[in-house]
Amino acid sequence: MDRLLETPEGAKVLLLGNEAIARAALEAGVAVATTYPGTPASEIGDALARVAKDAGIYFEYSTNEIVATELAAASAISGVRAMTSMKHVGLNVAADALMTFAYTGTRGGFVLVTADDPSCHSSQNEQDNRYYALLAGLPLLEPSNPQECYEMTKEAFNLSEKVELPIIVRTTTRVSHIRGPVTVGKIVPGVKKKTFVKEPGRFVTVPAVARERHLVLLKQLSESEKLANESRFNVTYRIGKGGRNGIITSSAAFNYAIDAAEYAKADLDILKLGFSHPLPNRLVEDFLRTHDVVAVAEELEPILETAVRALAQQSSIETKIIGKADGLLPRAHEFNQAVVAGALDKAFGIKSDISKAPVLENLPARPPVLCAGCPHTATYYAVNKATGGKAIFASDIGCYSLGVGPPHRTADLLLCMGSSVGTAGGLAKVSDQPVIAFIGDSTFFHAGIPGLINAVHNGHRFLLIILDNRTTAMTGHQPHPGSSTGPSCCDITSVSIEEIVKACGVKWLKIVDPYDVASTTAAVKEGLTQRTVSVLIARRECALIAKKNKAGAIIRKEVIDSEVCTDCGTCTSKLQCPAISKTDEVMTIDETMCSGCSVCEQVCPSKAIKGAK
Amino acid sequence: MVDVYLAGVGGQGIITASRIIGDAAIIAGKSVLMSETHGMAQRGGSVVCTARIGDVHSALIPDGKADVVLSFEMLETMRALCAASEKTVVISSTDRMVPMSVTTGKLHYPTLDEVEAASKKVARAFVSIDTSKLAREAGTPLSSNVVMVGALAGTGTTGIDRRAYEKAVEANVPRMVGENLTAFGKGFDVTSMIFRRG
Repeated sequence: MDRLLETPEGAKVLLLGNEAIARAALEAGVAVATTYPGTPASEIGDALARVAKDAGIYFEYSTNEIVATELAAASAISGVRAMTSMKHVGLNVAADALMTFAYTGTRGGFVLVTADDPSCHSSQNEQDNRYYALLAGLPLLEPSNPQECYEMTKEAFNLSEKVELPIIVRTTTRVSHIRGPVTVGKIVPGVKKKTFVKEPGRFVTVPAVARERHLVLLKQLSESEKLANESRFNVTYRIGKGGRNGIITSSAAFNYAIDAAEYAKADLDILKLGFSHPLPNRLVEDFLRTHDVVAVAEELEPILETAVRALAQQSSIETKIIGKADGLLPRAHEFNQAVVAGALDKAFGIKSDISKAPVLENLPARPPVLCAGCPHTATYYAVNKATGGKAIFASDIGCYSLGVGPPHRTADLLLCMGSSVGTAGGLAKVSDQPVIAFIGDSTFFHAGIPGLINAVHNGHRFLLIILDNRTTAMTGHQPHPGSSTGPSCCDITSVSIEEIVKACGVKWLKIVDPYDVASTTAAVKEGLTQRTVSVLIARRECALIAKKNKAGAIIRKEVIDSEVCTDCGTCTSKLQCPAISKTDEVMTIDETMCSGCSVCEQVCPSKAIKGAK
Repeated sequence: MVDVYLAGVGGQGIITASRIIGDAAIIAGKSVLMSETHGMAQRGGSVVCTARIGDVHSALIPDGKADVVLSFEMLETMRALCAASEKTVVISSTDRMVPMSVTTGKLHYPTLDEVEAASKKVARAFVSIDTSKLAREAGTPLSSNVVMVGALAGTGTTGIDRRAYEKAVEANVPRMVGENLTAFGKGFDVTSMIFRRG
């Protein structure tokens, strides 16, 4: 039984913010949902993938975010309800489609969920995607907790149909990954099929159409501002006795602000903006006029703050507005109660006992590492053996980015999805050092192929190693176009990576099993001697999946013979398998963690490691 | 309001443990808000989850405000002490996952005595539990996390009754339900002996 689907109307169920978004979409009668997985958005798609068949909806893991957006947009333009979800940087990929989709608008409700990641818990930057609402000119909803994720997503479909625009629902890690009680409604199946009604004067954005549609968009935005002023998601909270001090806030920052104010037993008012773009001017003006000092508390960029200051100037309001421009709150990293409590003190002289406690000093750090039996570990070991540390490494987005640290140090440059292939060409052009690009299988499908075509066409010389672990591992093992299984609702066809590589015109292609260290090392050496771009596919299933599939079965484990072990440290300092550690002065392999991959056995110079049943 | 701060290493089943606690709270008719760690940190990094039982807005627990620190690994217990103060009960598994900086001899891994001393310096009480041993005895060697939930329930600090916890265990473990309930009971017995003796 899946609680997402089975929970009846009116019941309270514990859901992750992301699952609440998925439930809301089902209740709103979504017909088509798409995604490309990315933390912290992944569980929206994962939940829908699980229930798609039973719910009678179409769900797909698309090749990348722009394809996901285009597919869902066209469905909504046809008249059904559609949703796409992605992490913040995914919207950079989808932006080209979204910017013009704002011009065409939509007939069926369309919701785009973007999950930002303040503090870069699992991301390469902490960009603030509320700017996309400003840039594209689209209404923006910002939930603060799972219940609001549910309510706002559901309402976003209605709002979208009312103003005929796509709606952006923006979460953050501390909204998407918060689990809390959600009182759900009824799942009402929506319309699944529509006859496409042609309207090229709206949907074919040649210049003559685009010029007119921009004017329409501005009208729709002005209509949206009226709706924002009346929205039930824009609420004033009176804390204690209220008073002449106020806070304007949104998203997770609201949670910290109200907690900090309650801990401090403060008397103030909080204007919480859930429908924050277009800015509800009338509401904000009223709030400013009834308060003497107003602090704006928002994570990341001073977007509300800038808009509130502009409004005050425009309406000649003299209320003191304070925020990031005054150094009240930081522009980088996520907030917590202590950060906002500090701001309450600075802004209003309100003291509380919330403060940041120091972490004990000199504790060994525990950064994330490649798992026991990870095939990437084996590939990286072979690459270092083959290159002797002389190569430059263009890395990409995935678990394998963790190669940046010791002992592998197999990442020298990393920008975004697919960047390894493009940047490797640039590195090779201006350097005489050997260049190796690493890309995962899912990332290759997502954004690696154009770079490879470019490298072949323009004659760039580097070795591209496709780390093919048969899944999108980092985000929770979602399928990709090379997979042979997909979401519950659809029949899928597996696309061959090697056939794509060959079709791109690559002359030297080899496929190796990274668990075979000698062959992999030899293949890397050979690949680097080629005069054009060469491709090595290091293919071995993700160790976590392999372990799951073998659950309960007796698998081969590695053991270290302490009589033979010379404590040379090769297995730890060069391989760094987390199953191997020095416990009580003896090198041991944790049998619950060992995957039996035998790579440590192959690299041990004194043959102290042996496989055992 | 009861704040439970869960700490450990990615892969130890901390999210499952926090879900059991959350479900138990709902079954017992209480409100709860939890934060989870997903994504990159799950790959063997330090992981923190929270469960705030009662009416609250943010799922994060301010430093020093935890009622219980429930730590699944000894080094992570040390790191989690920022959440503790004189009102806090610290429950630490004696499981050790030695990070590479320790194996390569650069840094020191704390002994149980050091963890106990550091915890007692800030917290009201400290309990250590050999959760791996208890899980093995229960017949589910990988259920240290369920032993830990039992230990939390046994303290009586959460105001959630044992049956609600057991129902939540049943709802969240896919296999070997009986063995997991035994594992829960073993954790429960350790702390209930200490905290409910009087």
